[in-house]
Amino acid sequence: MKKSVLIVSAMLAAFGLAACGERPQVNVYQQGKYQGKADTAPYDNPAFGKDKAKWEAAVRARGQGQDEYTRGG
Amino acid sequence: MARMKFLCDAERCIECNGCVTACKNEHDVPWGVNRRRVVTLNDGVPGERSVSVACMHCSDAPCIAVCPVDCIYHTEEGVVLHDKDLCIGCGYCFYACPFGAPQFPQAGAFGMRGKMDKCTFCAGGPEVDGSEEEFRKYGRNRLAEGKLPICAEMCATKALLGGDSDVISDIFRKRATMRGGGAQLIGWATAYGRQERAQERKGAGEGGK
Amino acid sequence: MLLTRKGAAAPSGGRLAGALEGLAPRSMDRRTFLKRSGFAGGAGAFASALPFAMIGRAQAQDAQPATGKIEVRRTVCTHCSVGCAIDAEVQNGVWIGQEPVFDSPINLGAHCAKGAAVREHGHGEHRLRYPMKLAGGKWTRISWDQALNEVSAKLLDIRKAHGPDAAYWIGSSKHNNEQSYLMRKFVSMWGTNNCDHQARICHSTTVAGVANTWGYGAMTNSYNDMRNSKAIFFIGSNAAEAHPVSLLHILHAKENGAKVIVADPRFTRTAAKADQYLRIRSGSDIALIHGMLYHIFKNGWEDKQFIADRVYGMDKVREEAAKWTPDKVQEVTGVAEADLLRAVETMAKNRPSTVVWCMGQTQHTTGNAIVRIMCILQLALGNIGVSGGGANIFRGHDNVQGATDIGPNPDSLPGYYGIAEGSWKHWCKVWGVDFEWMKARFASPAMMGKPGITVSRWIDGVLEKNEAIDQGPNLKAVIFWGHAPNSQSRGKEMVEAMKALDLLVVIDPYPSATAAMAAMVRKDGVYLLPAATQFETSGSVTASNRSIQWREKVIEPVFESRPDHTIMYLLAQKLGFGQELARNLKVTNGEPSPEDMLREINRGTWTIGYTGQSPERLKAHMRNMQVFDPRTLRAKGGVDKETGYSLDGDYFGLPWPCYGNAALKHPGTPNLYDPSMHVMDGGGNFRANFGVVRDGVDLLAGDGSASKGADLQFGYPEFDHVLLKKLGWWNDLTDAEKAAAEGKNWKTDLSGGIQRVVLKNHGCHPFGNARARAVVWNFPDPVPLHREALFSTRADLVEKYPTHDDKKVFWRLPTLFKSVQQKYKDVGKDFPLILTSGRLTEFEGGGEETRSNPWLAELQQENFVEINPKAANDRGIRHWDYVWVKTPTGAQLKVRALVTERVGADTCFIPFHFSGWWMGKDMIDYYPEKAHPIVRGEAVNTATTYGYDAVTMMQETKTTVCQVVKV
Repeated sequence: MKKSVLIVSAMLAAFGLAACGERPQVNVYQQGKYQGKADTAPYDNPAFGKDKAKWEAAVRARGQGQDEYTRGG
Repeated sequence: MARMKFLCDAERCIECNGCVTACKNEHDVPWGVNRRRVVTLNDGVPGERSVSVACMHCSDAPCIAVCPVDCIYHTEEGVVLHDKDLCIGCGYCFYACPFGAPQFPQAGAFGMRGKMDKCTFCAGGPEVDGSEEEFRKYGRNRLAEGKLPICAEMCATKALLGGDSDVISDIFRKRATMRGGGAQLIGWATAYGRQERAQERKGAGEGGK
Repeated sequence: MLLTRKGAAAPSGGRLAGALEGLAPRSMDRRTFLKRSGFAGGAGAFASALPFAMIGRAQAQDAQPATGKIEVRRTVCTHCSVGCAIDAEVQNGVWIGQEPVFDSPINLGAHCAKGAAVREHGHGEHRLRYPMKLAGGKWTRISWDQALNEVSAKLLDIRKAHGPDAAYWIGSSKHNNEQSYLMRKFVSMWGTNNCDHQARICHSTTVAGVANTWGYGAMTNSYNDMRNSKAIFFIGSNAAEAHPVSLLHILHAKENGAKVIVADPRFTRTAAKADQYLRIRSGSDIALIHGMLYHIFKNGWEDKQFIADRVYGMDKVREEAAKWTPDKVQEVTGVAEADLLRAVETMAKNRPSTVVWCMGQTQHTTGNAIVRIMCILQLALGNIGVSGGGANIFRGHDNVQGATDIGPNPDSLPGYYGIAEGSWKHWCKVWGVDFEWMKARFASPAMMGKPGITVSRWIDGVLEKNEAIDQGPNLKAVIFWGHAPNSQSRGKEMVEAMKALDLLVVIDPYPSATAAMAAMVRKDGVYLLPAATQFETSGSVTASNRSIQWREKVIEPVFESRPDHTIMYLLAQKLGFGQELARNLKVTNGEPSPEDMLREINRGTWTIGYTGQSPERLKAHMRNMQVFDPRTLRAKGGVDKETGYSLDGDYFGLPWPCYGNAALKHPGTPNLYDPSMHVMDGGGNFRANFGVVRDGVDLLAGDGSASKGADLQFGYPEFDHVLLKKLGWWNDLTDAEKAAAEGKNWKTDLSGGIQRVVLKNHGCHPFGNARARAVVWNFPDPVPLHREALFSTRADLVEKYPTHDDKKVFWRLPTLFKSVQQKYKDVGKDFPLILTSGRLTEFEGGGEETRSNPWLAELQQENFVEINPKAANDRGIRHWDYVWVKTPTGAQLKVRALVTERVGADTCFIPFHFSGWWMGKDMIDYYPEKAHPIVRGEAVNTATTYGYDAVTMMQETKTTVCQVVKV
C-alpha cells in the first residue's frame, strides 16, 4: 500500500477514537518520516485484485490452521 | 482492519526450534542470522519455560523512532518492515529494540557488516511482491499469497501464533479457558498463572530431591 | 506484481536431459539449485550463501521470469515416527518451498526443527555425490558400473570362499516399506539371515516383550488417541525433544485436564511440561513399577474384572510386587514413597490413563523385562484395549515400525512369520520362487532356520574367535545400507572390526561417519554408493501408530544418487538373482515399481494385516486428509474425487492390522485389542498365540470379553480351515477361496477367504481371543525382576540384584552377563558417575544427515556432557569447559561441560547424534571431499560399554559409568 494511504487511514482511525476526550490509542505516523521505497498492500496483486476484504478473509481463514480446536476438541 | 501480531504460548512452547528452521528454510536465511530465536528461562529446573522471540512488530516501534535514515516503516497491517537500500547498518535499531530482533549479517561477499535484517512477518519488503529482488533482500512474501508467517504455521505445538490479533487472541483465549477449567478462569492471579506456577514449582521439585 | 513464487525458466537442456536421463548420472549442487530455482545471485550467493548481505550487487544475468508451473507433491517427514505430512512445492524439478499440511490429522501442519528443514535435502551440499572407493588410503571417484562390478565380484568371491553367512547386511529403518521389504527378500535370496536394522537397537525389546504379552509388538493406540487420556505417564521417553509434534496432542490433552507425569533420570523438556516429575536412577524402572503395583494392589486399585476376564498370571506379579515395599523402592530408584504414591494415585484415579516409553526403557540388559512391567502396569489398571489408555510406545525413525514389520530382521520374514520352513514356503509362494531353490541359496537348511547375528553385535561376528560363534565363517563383508555406525555401542572395538573386514560397503545419502571411521583404520576395501533420500522416490511409510502414508516423489535423485530399491535390483542382477528378486515387479530403468512391491506385501502379509492397504487406498487417504478426525483418526464421509473411493469409516492411513484384501474394506485398527467396537470397525481383543491352556489354567479369554458383535462371545483360538469347518462356516467361502484355504490358516490363506468370513460374516477376530500374559514363561524372567546393569556404580545393589548368567550361544554369539558384572563390580570407585544418552530435537539418529543441514547444524554446534553443578564443582569444572569423559573401555570423549541441574549429581548425559571426532581428534581428513557434516563431535558410543538384553540382544547404552575430568 502506498504511503499516503497508510497515513490517511491511520489518521482516520486516530480521529475516530479520539472522540469524547479519549486519548488516541493508535500511533500516528508523521508524514514524510519514512524515506524508503513505497510498498504495496499484500492484496494489491492479481490473486486478490486489490480486494482488501477478499484478502482479509483469506488470511483469516488461513489463521484457523493454527487452532487445532477447529478440527474437534 | 487486520493487525498482525505474534503471540507465543509459553505453556505450549517446547523449544523445538521448528519456528527457527522454518524461517531459515522459507527465506534462505544465512548462517549466523536469526530472525527468530527460542529463549528458555530456568533451563533444566522446575519452572522451565520457553518462548519464541522475533520482531514483535510493535505498534509504536522504537526502531522506527530512532532510525537515522528513516528506512523503517509500518504497513497498513501493522507489520514493521524496512528498506535495505536505505539502511546504513548502523545498529541503532538494535540498540532501541526491546527484543533484540534486528540482525546484522557478519560477512557479506566483501567481508563487510551487512544491512540490518529482521523478521518481516513473512511480508517481504518494499520491492515488488513476490519478485526475486524482494526474495533476495527480505525473503518470501507469504502475506501477499494470503498465507501467514511460516514459523507460526509450522509450530510443533501451535504455541506460536501469528496473524490478525483478533483471530489469534481468540485462539489463545479458547485454550486459556480450557486450562483454567472453563468458568474458573477468574482473577488476575489465575489468568497470569502466578499461584499455579508457584505450586507447580513446588510440586515438580518434590520428585527431584 | 508476480503472485507465484519466483522461479527461473528451466535451463534449456533441462527438459531434454530429463527425458534422456534414465539411469544417467544427474547432479545438482547448490549453484544449479539456485540457478534453476531462480534465486541465483551470481558467484557471491553461492560462495557465501548470504542472500541478505548482497544488497546492491548486480542482478543475476541468468535469472529470468518464472515460467515453470509450481507443482505440489505431498510427502512425509523422514525424521521420526510421528509421520508429519509435508507439501513440497516444486518448480522446474527444483524443490523451492515447503508448506504446512493443516489437513493432516496427524500433525495438522505442525513441524519440529527437523521437519521444518527437510527441504534442505534438495540442496544436499554435504551428500555423497557419486560412488567412491578407498584406494591407497584416498577416496577416489568411480562410476556406478565400476562400483557395482567390483562390489559384486568381491561379494561373490567371499561367498565362494566362506559361504553366504560371511556377509552381514545392515538395512535401514529409513528405507520405506517397499525398500525394507525388498531388502529382506534380497538378503534371503543371497542366502542368509544375517541382516538387521535400527529396530534392534531402538525398540527390539519392546517388540519382543509386548508381542509376547498380548499379541502384536507395536504402539497400541496413537498419538492422536492420547487426546482421550486422563493421565499420561512418560518413563524413559523425552517426547518433547524426540517426538516434538506428539506434544501437540499431549498438550492438547493436558489443556483438557489430563495429568502428565514424567519419570526420568533427567529433568527433560517433557518433564518441564509435566504436573509431576520423578527423578529415577537410570535402569531402575522395574523396581519403580513394582513399587507402583505394590500401591495399586494394596489399595485395591486394580481392575479386577479386566484381570479376571482378559489377563493370565497376574497373581504371580502380585507376589513379586508385594516384595517391593516403599523403602526398597527408594533404595533402588531414589524415589520417595509419597512421590510415588502421588503418581500411582494419578494413574489409578484418572482412567483411562496411558503410558509412554522409549529408549530410556528399551536399551538395557533387562529391556525385555522393563517393557513387560509397563504392560503389566497397564493390564493391572485395565488400560489396554481402551481409547485413552494403551501402551503408547513411541518408535524412533520414520519407518522403524514398517521396517520392523516387514523389513530385514534376522529372526523373521516380513510380517513376523519367523524363519521356520513353513514361513519360507509361504513367502516363496508369494515371491514366485521355488522353495528348493531358496533352500539351496543358504549354507545349509539349518542356517536357513537359525536367527542371524544382530546389528548390535556385528563387530563380534567379525572379531570373536571362530570356534565360539554359531555359524561357519566369521563376518568378512559388512554392508551398511542406511545405518549409522555411531548408533552402536563399543565404538572403540568397532574400528578394530572395520579393520579386520575384507569388504565394507556403505550405501547411504550420507555415508560419511562409517566412511571416516573406516578410512581412519584402512587403506582400501571400502566402497561408498550414494543412495537417494525418501524425497527422491515414492513409497509407503508406517508411523508409530501403525498408520501407513504414501509419499510422492518430490524431486529426482540428486547428484548421481539412486533409490535404494534400484540399487538392490541392480546389485541382485550382478549377484545372480535379479530375476527372482523382481519376479512380480515391473522394472523401469532398473527401478522396481514401488506400487508393485506394496501389492506383493499386500499379497503376503496376513499376520499383521498389511493386506488391505493397497496403493490406491493409501493414495486416496493422502489426497483427502481433511475428512479424518484428529481425535479418532476416522473419516466422516468423504469421497475421493479421482477414484470415487468412499473414505467413510476408514481410519487414517489404515493403521495395521487392516485385515483381508482391499476389497473387504477393513478400516484399519486405531487402538489394538479394543472390544468395545466390532472387528469391522477396528475393534479386537488379545491374540491367541501362546496355546489354549497352561498348567491347567485357561489361556483363552473369559466370557463377555469378545469384541462387539462377535458370533463367539467367549475366548476362542485362532482360525484355520479345521476350526472353520467345525463351526460350519466353511461354506461361507467361495469355491475359489475354498481351494486356496484348504489346509491353511488365517495367516497363510493367500485368498484372504478365511479372514473375510471370520471378520465380516461372523464378527470374530482371525487371531482368536485370548488372555494377555502377565507371566511370559518363555522369557528369562517370566515375571519381570529388577537386575542391576553390568556396569553399575552401586556395588551394594549388584550384590542384591545380580544379572543373568552368561549365555554360550545367543543369536550365533557367546554373550556375557554375570562374568562382566562381577569383573566390574567395584567399577564405581574409579567411574563414579552414571553415563546415559539420548536425543536432541535438532538431530536424528547417528546424526550425519541432520548435522549436514545448515539450518539444523547451526542450532547445536558442539557435543556436550550434561553434568550437575555439584559433580562439576567437585571436579573443578566450569560451564562450557572442555572435559574428558572416560569410561572403563579405555575410551575418552572430549566434549563441552554443560553444567546443569537437569541431571542429578550422580548422572551424566551425552546426546548420541554426534560423530566425526575420535577421542579428541577431528576426523575431517578422513571424509570424502565435501561429504563431511557441518557439525562434528564425539560419538558417545565410542565410549559405551558391553551389555546386551537377554532376549533380543538390545545394547545397553542407557546405564553405564564414567568419570569426567577437565581437559
